[in-house]
Amino acid sequence: MKDKIESYIINNLASEPLDKIYDDEDLLGSGIVDSMGMMNLINFIETEADIKIPSEDMTIENFMTIKNIMQYLSR
Amino acid sequence: MIYTLQQIIEKAASDTPNKQAFRCFNDSITYRELDNKSNRLAAYLINDGVKKGDRIGIYMNRCLETTIAVYGILKSGAAYVPIDPFAPISRVSKILNDCGVSHLVTTPLQNRRINKVLETETTVISIIGSDISFETKTVSWQFVYSHSATLPNKKNVLGSDLAFILYTSGSTGVPKGIMHTHSSALSLAKIMADTFDLTSEDIFGNPAPLHFDPSTFGYFVAPLVKATTVIVSDAHLKMPTSLAAMIVDEKISIWYSVPLMLIQLLNSGRIEKHDFRALRWIFFAGEVFVPKHLRALMQLWPETRFTNLYGPAELILCTYYNIELLPTAESNVPIGNVWADTEFKILDNRQEEVKKGEIGELAVRSATLMQGYWNNEQLTDKAFKRVKIAQGYEHIYYRTGDLVKENQDGELLFLGRNDRQIKLRGHRVELDEVEYTFLKHEDVEEVAVVVLDKEKEAQELAAVIKLQEGAETYNHQLRDFCKEHLPLYAIPTIIEVFADLPRTSSGKINRKEINNLLDQTTK
Repeated sequence: MKDKIESYIINNLASEPLDKIYDDEDLLGSGIVDSMGMMNLINFIETEADIKIPSEDMTIENFMTIKNIMQYLSR
Repeated sequence: MIYTLQQIIEKAASDTPNKQAFRCFNDSITYRELDNKSNRLAAYLINDGVKKGDRIGIYMNRCLETTIAVYGILKSGAAYVPIDPFAPISRVSKILNDCGVSHLVTTPLQNRRINKVLETETTVISIIGSDISFETKTVSWQFVYSHSATLPNKKNVLGSDLAFILYTSGSTGVPKGIMHTHSSALSLAKIMADTFDLTSEDIFGNPAPLHFDPSTFGYFVAPLVKATTVIVSDAHLKMPTSLAAMIVDEKISIWYSVPLMLIQLLNSGRIEKHDFRALRWIFFAGEVFVPKHLRALMQLWPETRFTNLYGPAELILCTYYNIELLPTAESNVPIGNVWADTEFKILDNRQEEVKKGEIGELAVRSATLMQGYWNNEQLTDKAFKRVKIAQGYEHIYYRTGDLVKENQDGELLFLGRNDRQIKLRGHRVELDEVEYTFLKHEDVEEVAVVVLDKEKEAQELAAVIKLQEGAETYNHQLRDFCKEHLPLYAIPTIIEVFADLPRTSSGKINRKEINNLLDQTTK
């Protein structure tokens, strides 16, 4: 799942050509992903993991880094 | 009296020294601290050879130091040039070189990008605010703060001096620099403070980045009324759930943004979960607020006032419309009337005024009007309509390119553009610039970029491409190519390669047909 998320961001969302995204790289503050991109990422995760992410969970704490996202998904 | 922008802070620091001027995340700065720290930056810049009229870049994400950068640069007598911190390096470098930026003020978060900028051919000789050493001279914020807060020789800055240059999409692929003076930006601040009932008790929410003209609201209007501004972080703007909680926690009373941010809040379903009683006034501008969403938001916040603002960055703003009644779900709210120190004409194709009620191009004359485009007299002349009043005396109107008409109540209605400039999520995008970028790719023979209008709140761009004969280029390679030259919002979400482009009988590219074809395939 982690690899899928990383490659989805690199191939579809990233604002610049990237080879790799580090687990603790700030996706939101660094400008790698914009606000439309974040909505797409959440849709992608919902489809891939076959879950529904409730709106109260769509927070900075849960989605700032790939590590945060993985921690959130393993809850 | 206040004649320059930095006097706003000097006055606030003397009247209310301990009041919080700006907040960002858990950090804050008082008016006295801001005055003091911006003096230190100015002192450093002057010692480092910055002269009146020089251009100094601000290359920072949304953070507290942006306020010190803005006022420190102005106090040094120079003009600031805010640069999108996430823009492609080639674009950053074009802007820096276009106006000859010598000093770049930044933060450690930008280190990786600064490195790339310095690898390009650049006029930058000094970096301020980074914590690592580049080959170019670099000092940290700590070093700047260790300077004396007494300015060595206070520059005699006049209202007519250049204050900042905002770069925006240019149709030929080169961004154009909109020059504002202290006087034009200060006029904006004074008119807004005068037109609306803004007080020192207010807490302004400022989501606009510095390179986007609505930032003048948080950085200049709020300090003029000695209020507190909350600089909304990049992260909050991408997570509406966190944004909703932040607006409530910070007790923001005045909010000004593009409609999209408010629509995202609305769609997040978080508005009902909080108590937004402190939020007393919403200003929005930048694009049309889809009426059904505006109506839904106004129903959720019945006690909040809503005002539609309008104005291209060349004027910052020029009209306003206070929404007194719940709008219908069908018709757009007017852009309203011009405010103080401002007048307008509506012109037809021959540059003559139309009859009342007819559609034409809006031309505006105002104290907030820009000086012109940096280093581009030709473009400036094209944008200005000069009306000769007497020998040696003329009135200058800015031709907005926006089509409007006056309704029966004398209010202006926005009806679209007379060219290929569009607004995408509040950003100005020239479709010609996007096409021009694709054409720079060696495998692209022809391209047409169109706007898809499937759902009105989220317009998307699509590019349809005809490749050179024998070329094999994949869509994602074209996308990566765009990323090197265009900001993310201007890159088409759909890139399709066609064997040939649909054409009209006269052989021209048939954009309408492209729209139809894409509508069928993307449904």
